[in-house]
Amino acid sequence: MPDTSASEPIIQLREVVKTYHSEAGDYTALKGLNLEVYPGEFLGILGKSGAGKSTLLNMLSGVDQVTSGEVLVRSAEGVIALHTLDENALALWRGRNMGIVYQSFQLLPTLSLMENVMLPIDLCGNYHPRRSRERAMELLRMVELEEHARKIPAFISGGQKQRVAIARALANDPPIIVADEPTGSLDSVTAEHIFELFEKLVAAGKTIVMVTHDQGLMPRFTRYKILADGAWVEEMP
Amino acid sequence: MRPRWKKVLTDLWDNKARTLLVVLSIAIGVLAIGVIAGAYVIIDADMSVSYAAHNPANLELRMQDFDTDLLDAVRHYHGIADAEARRAISLSVRPQGSEVWTKLDFIAVQDFKENRINLLTPVEGADQPHNGEILLEEDARDKLGVAPGDVVEVRLRDGTIKPLRVAGIVQDPTTSAADFLAAPLAYVPDDSLPDLHQPQTFNRLYITLDSGQDDEDHIREMLFTVKDKIEKSGYYVGFTRRSKTHQHPLASTVNAVLGILMALGVLIVFLSSSLIANTLSALLQQHMRHIGVMKLVGGRNYQVLGMYLVLMLAFGLLALLIAVPLGGQGAYGLALFIANSIGFALQGYRIVPLAFVAQIAVGLLVPLVAGLAPVLSGTRITVLQAISGDPARFGGGVSESLIDRTLLRLTQALARRGIHTPRPVLISIRNTFRNKRRLALTLFTLTMGGAIFISVFNVRTSLYRFVQQVGNYFLADVSVDFSKSYRIHKVESYIKQVPGVVAVEGWTYATAEILYPDGSLADNINILAPPANTSLVSPLMVAGRWMRPDDVRKLVISESILDAYPDLQPGDTLRLKIEGKEETWEVVGIFKFVGLEGTLGYAPYEYLSRAQNRANRAFSYRVITEEHDRAYQNLMRQRLDASLRAHGFQVEDTTAGLASLDDASESLDILITFLLIMALLTATVGSMGLAGTMGMNVLERTREIGIMRAIGGTDTRIMGIVITEGLFIGLISWVLADILSVPFSYFLSGIVSRAIFNTPIQVVFTPTGFGLWLGLVIILSSLASVLPAYNAARLTIREVLAYE
Ligand SMILES: Nc1ncnc2c1ncn2[C@@H]1O[C@H](COP(=O)(O)OP(=O)(O)OP(=O)(O)O)[C@@H](O)[C@H]1O
Ligand SMILES: [Mg+2]
Repeated sequence: MPDTSASEPIIQLREVVKTYHSEAGDYTALKGLNLEVYPGEFLGILGKSGAGKSTLLNMLSGVDQVTSGEVLVRSAEGVIALHTLDENALALWRGRNMGIVYQSFQLLPTLSLMENVMLPIDLCGNYHPRRSRERAMELLRMVELEEHARKIPAFISGGQKQRVAIARALANDPPIIVADEPTGSLDSVTAEHIFELFEKLVAAGKTIVMVTHDQGLMPRFTRYKILADGAWVEEMP
Repeated sequence: MRPRWKKVLTDLWDNKARTLLVVLSIAIGVLAIGVIAGAYVIIDADMSVSYAAHNPANLELRMQDFDTDLLDAVRHYHGIADAEARRAISLSVRPQGSEVWTKLDFIAVQDFKENRINLLTPVEGADQPHNGEILLEEDARDKLGVAPGDVVEVRLRDGTIKPLRVAGIVQDPTTSAADFLAAPLAYVPDDSLPDLHQPQTFNRLYITLDSGQDDEDHIREMLFTVKDKIEKSGYYVGFTRRSKTHQHPLASTVNAVLGILMALGVLIVFLSSSLIANTLSALLQQHMRHIGVMKLVGGRNYQVLGMYLVLMLAFGLLALLIAVPLGGQGAYGLALFIANSIGFALQGYRIVPLAFVAQIAVGLLVPLVAGLAPVLSGTRITVLQAISGDPARFGGGVSESLIDRTLLRLTQALARRGIHTPRPVLISIRNTFRNKRRLALTLFTLTMGGAIFISVFNVRTSLYRFVQQVGNYFLADVSVDFSKSYRIHKVESYIKQVPGVVAVEGWTYATAEILYPDGSLADNINILAPPANTSLVSPLMVAGRWMRPDDVRKLVISESILDAYPDLQPGDTLRLKIEGKEETWEVVGIFKFVGLEGTLGYAPYEYLSRAQNRANRAFSYRVITEEHDRAYQNLMRQRLDASLRAHGFQVEDTTAGLASLDDASESLDILITFLLIMALLTATVGSMGLAGTMGMNVLERTREIGIMRAIGGTDTRIMGIVITEGLFIGLISWVLADILSVPFSYFLSGIVSRAIFNTPIQVVFTPTGFGLWLGLVIILSSLASVLPAYNAARLTIREVLAYE
């Protein structure tokens, strides 16, 4: 269960710079960001399109490498600087400690919902045929998709897909969830439903970092930060 | 089941067309290897076992007539296990009521019950013919189309026709084992010889040795001593042959032919590998996002790699399920076919462990090896690249726009001349060059398939042309042999009276032995002596010159002499034992000739007839007629036979054309059939490659096709674009195959002709292969793109937009 003392951050970004190199020239998407995420928080990252929100999430999930600076993450194994891990170690660490939810749901089309949820357990968890199945069922029940467990993703709606993605993010019971515009491609009613699900998870003790450009959600985070042109700002520009 | 294995399973199951394509391309290679390796092992073992089981003679002597006294003496020679004597005569036979004569070698056997050497295996009917009956070898039965109980007619040397009842059919793997151009065999009891107007004596001696039956040197030595003793008893030996007991004389030829087929089999495996590589790299590209997701949720490189390796093994296993049972059957079928055409028996159906293991190795290794590169690079993709669909990793690049620009300039140039290239054709052509690596692999397989296909036709024509050229040594339309020599002028004047005759030549001949310097036998030689300016021989000279009228003890000799004297050159001399005398002859020329029955030589009639004290006389005449087709030759043979007999000549035999050339063409047909099957297999692999490529191209362009439809592209137009693309690839490969087929033809004809004729032959190119392949490639590439095109046209806009 997450630390509730709120004294020590679970994620810490120190002077993170990210520069993209391309044929058109270099582009610095993150300009020396600092950030501390505390256990049990529901942190919102807001900003306009192109502000660098996805880039930031990729830095703290280790999906992409920082150009300079450090990302430190505290987990059962102690405090780790992500850039010290190789690709395989990162994958293992991510699979156990961080659930990730994208705007496009990223489910495997040929696996059933249940198998999609079990996939992280298979790849880096403690796989046990019966127990993992029960765990997946339990998660699908939580997201109210129990009766669709055997369907493949093509036969359910967008909102349902996102709920499966959330269930999958929880499969190895990671303390941290990061979500990049999880409601971005959903209608408002469905989006509300998904958001409530995240609120429930926070109540259950998860630490969540969520990227959104929906300013209406600001009051519902425990804390939010606004990004513009790769730097923190006080107000939405 | 663990989700990851479930994913592998659904990857197999979900895209059935792709799975089928990969599995079939592996299976074709496995099948080819299994069939050929299996047949090779079966033939290698059974050919010699069957040969040995019939107790083949180690020594065969064809000689002047002899009787049981000599036979009994020979049986007591030191080192000899057993000896049998037979009489062989060549006679023409036809089924009762037929007009077509077939030449058979009649073997008169002393006692069918006591037969101990060159054993006969009964196949059908009786195995011991009585007087007035005949046994036929399977080959002879097939040629004549008769069955036991039928009556055949034999034309005796004096022209009498005599009916014989077919008592039974036998298999004789030994008697003419060394010579697949030999006439089919028939067997009669030797007490029926008088009825066939033949003396009841022998002219062939078959001997087995009591030791060293598989020792080349010992057999050679024994032949030397036995022959020497027989000659000292006053008999003249014309021709000899030796054979090991446990090695079929054609073993090396058959092995060489199977070796060629094996090489083609390996090539097929190689081609199917490139097809597999192509398909797997497309699969990995399609799975880029899946791989990213797995890595995102904690999958490590080795796990993902493991999944795709298992997928490849599964492809291999499925292919084995199809190909292994088929391969076992096919191997035995091929072995049986070869055994039947050469005339020996197999030891029964069996699984060949070596072939089995080879198939499994090929089936599992081919997908692994072929797929390793795409799988390694595919699974190395990072989460970021996968999720963002980074296109930099695949295809594309600068040269693509180069092709675009070239195409643009080309169409503009054409447009200026008033030729407008239709838009869809342009789209098709540009699409062709999109994924250059895939295009290259597809072109490679299709081109190789085509090049082999075309080459097989060139090789076929070259082989036939060669046999035809060998016919240049036998240009006579009719040969007439008398039982005594006549003055050439006399015979000529009679023959020329027969309508249809253009020219006639009197020939003589001699048999001789070529000796090594130590006096031992190097080779047998038949010396033919036509007039030096004969119009009936057009030799293919390899070195030196053709004969001249004033040549004395000078010889033009066939290339096979090089086996015994590898360094022989025109100007060198040879020791010959000719009609009992040892003489020194000069070799003036060397010519090309197919012959397994020893060496052939030419010397001018002008010299040899004098040496034989028969100047201006001859036993043997060659006639040229006005027409040269088989029917006319047969007609002229009958006319000449009747006319000469009517004038009181002692005609021994008259022959039309040269039947043995037909037999040669027949054995070549078998070989060509195999080569064609292999060529078709490679062509199949090639077109499967094309189908796969078109399928992948269409799949990757789903979105684009949807957009074309959305802006009003009709089904036919979309199908047209895809099919044009397939045809375009097919045509490029046709051009490349044409070029590649040139070296291929040289290479293939080189190894084939060396294997069967022991000599390289001149390559002839025929438009047949080029034309057929053009037709085939058009059909195949349209077919290969029809299904993908149909799929493309069938996609609805909704499906296209849902496609991820
Ligand atoms: N691989 C890349 N190469 C070059 N530039 C990039 C790359 N990825 C992102 N960028 C640039 O970095 C900036 C930040 O991009 P990012 O995707 O983080 O924005 P975002 O805030 O997530 O926007 P959105 O709300 O549209 O998702 C953008 O200007 C973008 O063009
Ligand atoms: Mg973004």
